[in-house]
Amino acid sequence: MAAPPPVSIVVVRDLSKIYRQGDINVTALNSVSLDIAPGEFVVLMGPSGSGKSTLLHIIAGIDQPTSGSAKVQGIDIARLNQSQLADWRNQNVGFVFQSFNLIPVLTAAENVELPLLLTNLSRKERRLQTQTALELVGLADRGHHRPDQLSGGQQQRAAIARALVTDPALIVADEPTGNLDAKSAADVLEILQSLTRTAGKTVVMVTHDPKSAAYGSRSLHLEKGELVNDAK
Amino acid sequence: MGFITDYIQLQKAKLAHERAFLHLLRWFSPLVWLDYLLRLIVRRFGLSYLTFIGISALRNQRRALLTIISVAVSCALLVTLLTLQRELTVPPESEAASLRIIARNKVSLAQPLPAKQLPIIEKIPGVVAVSPFTFFGGNFREETVTSFAQFAVDPVRFKDLIVEGHIAEGTYEAFIKDRTSCFVGADTMKRYGLKIGDKMRFTGTFYPVDLDLKIAAVFQGTVDDRGVFFHHKLLDELMGDPGTVGTWYLRVASAGVANDVIARVNKAFENSSAEVRAETERAFQMGFISMLGNVKLLIGSISAVVVFTLVLVTVSTMSMAIRERFRELAVLKALGFRRTELFSFILAESFGLAALGALVGIGGAWAFWTFMDLQKMTNGFLIYFEVTPRIMATGAVVAALLGIVSAIAPSLAVARTSVVEGLKTLD
Ligand SMILES: Nc1ncnc2c1ncn2[C@@H]1O[C@H](COP(=O)(O)OP(=O)(O)OP(=O)(O)O)[C@@H](O)[C@H]1O
Ligand SMILES: [Mg+2]
Repeated sequence: MAAPPPVSIVVVRDLSKIYRQGDINVTALNSVSLDIAPGEFVVLMGPSGSGKSTLLHIIAGIDQPTSGSAKVQGIDIARLNQSQLADWRNQNVGFVFQSFNLIPVLTAAENVELPLLLTNLSRKERRLQTQTALELVGLADRGHHRPDQLSGGQQQRAAIARALVTDPALIVADEPTGNLDAKSAADVLEILQSLTRTAGKTVVMVTHDPKSAAYGSRSLHLEKGELVNDAK
Repeated sequence: MGFITDYIQLQKAKLAHERAFLHLLRWFSPLVWLDYLLRLIVRRFGLSYLTFIGISALRNQRRALLTIISVAVSCALLVTLLTLQRELTVPPESEAASLRIIARNKVSLAQPLPAKQLPIIEKIPGVVAVSPFTFFGGNFREETVTSFAQFAVDPVRFKDLIVEGHIAEGTYEAFIKDRTSCFVGADTMKRYGLKIGDKMRFTGTFYPVDLDLKIAAVFQGTVDDRGVFFHHKLLDELMGDPGTVGTWYLRVASAGVANDVIARVNKAFENSSAEVRAETERAFQMGFISMLGNVKLLIGSISAVVVFTLVLVTVSTMSMAIRERFRELAVLKALGFRRTELFSFILAESFGLAALGALVGIGGAWAFWTFMDLQKMTNGFLIYFEVTPRIMATGAVVAALLGIVSAIAPSLAVARTSVVEGLKTLD
């Protein structure tokens, strides 16, 4: 008996995003359609201004499309209202940014624990989950350091721990290695890769760097808001 | 070469010292303790909304401190102004005060009245008691300005005028019997450590005579327990019987007849050589206050300016504090915090800072005005200066509203900014 085809975790159909700037329209995304299966490590590439970030933001539920639909785990996220969307993000998406975006006054562990404040977990469970996430990124002994006491690579790993602490199915990363040296970048990419391989997470990552793209299981190229090829 | 490396070493050492010093200095700030405490709590119990808000609010210690201090100073100022207003415009009032009438020369308070007016006043219906009441205004002992008043009265008649207040020590009979004795308020007794039988010496200021009085009795429990009363006869003797009094002090049968009595007293001496102006003790006090100008309006407008400045300062610091954190708030939104949660963070922060400021300011003002010997400091100009719970509550309400008002603009800005826009803002 053949295994049933994997149900796509992300289904994007005819997605367009048009910014109005006075009289001119800027088309950031033009009728993009794509499917992403669970456990994939999708790399989005393309020149600056091609709409990579815009696509990522819509899939992650922090931006709204002008037309078309984006379904994640069967939920049309454009239909959710603001607070439903907030809850949905907390439970289903982990964010990794280029500039880490850790809260500077909190320690690494506190930063990781932050999204768990929105859950019903007990203090003990939160602490355990935080510690586990830090261990997964190799920062178990650095939890009590503040961001300014950590290197860029360590900060980005803490940010990944924060992204995965709520155990979301989808992790989005916008140029996560853009501010890192080669060694730290490799660490970060290996962690993201292992998340897809061992934990079955789906990762969508934007990058400019072909070396980084090599870690992905699939690359998508955007140009002027359109997908140019979908090479497996 | 040695010189340059030595110099660099020296500079480095200097810098390290300065840094260590600044670091030590930090520990003088209570906010640093608070921050430390919050972090200890987080370490022990994990993060919570409240500790997160606290740590967030205290991140910029200098600004937090400045906000708290500006709220504190303004609250203290406001409380002080309101207390001053109350002190000046609401004179110590008692039921008895509305029963007492003071009749003075129509020309001015400084003009005496003829003593022969007494039998005429006495016959006016409604008058229960009347006594001469002459302000002596002497200086006690070596003092250059004495803050309590001395009055020459007719002890027998004056007895019927004291409706309230009671004899604390000695007997009133002893005061009546001894022509050179005096009847003294308990506050004055305490202030100068006096006891019954002690002598009190007053140097006349506008009367060219001095007084040597023996304390016969002490009163306590009136609205003003400071005065000294002595025999009018003594003053008459010393002055060679001029046949005048300063004012007449009357008591009427009931508050209802007070206005009738006032009208009759005024009428009785109309077109005489010494026309009289009678008014209730309370009106007399109010008249004195109106000499200070329209105090109520003045203080009211100063208070309004204080509050307005306070609003400007806190609103702008709060906006600054949030604007600096726009990106961070966008990250929180991305992590799943709802707008309402971010609003409550902002509100809690601005409310918390305002509350701390109010606590320090109102508490400080209360402690200052309560534990300072104001009577001594202001030479008796301010007696009670009581910071009432009502005034403190007014200050607290102003601070609370302030906390809310200054959260509005940042909250709106946060609501209006999408996650994507927020993430684009630079730190
Ligand atoms: N808020 C906005 N208003 C107007 N135009 C916008 C806005 N945001 C993005 N755009 C436009 O949409 C297009 C796509 O932007 P996007 O940020 O998705 O590009 P990108 O591929 O991520 O580029 P980069 O590699 O430089 O990050 C660009 O042409 C950009 O100018
Ligand atoms: Mg981009």
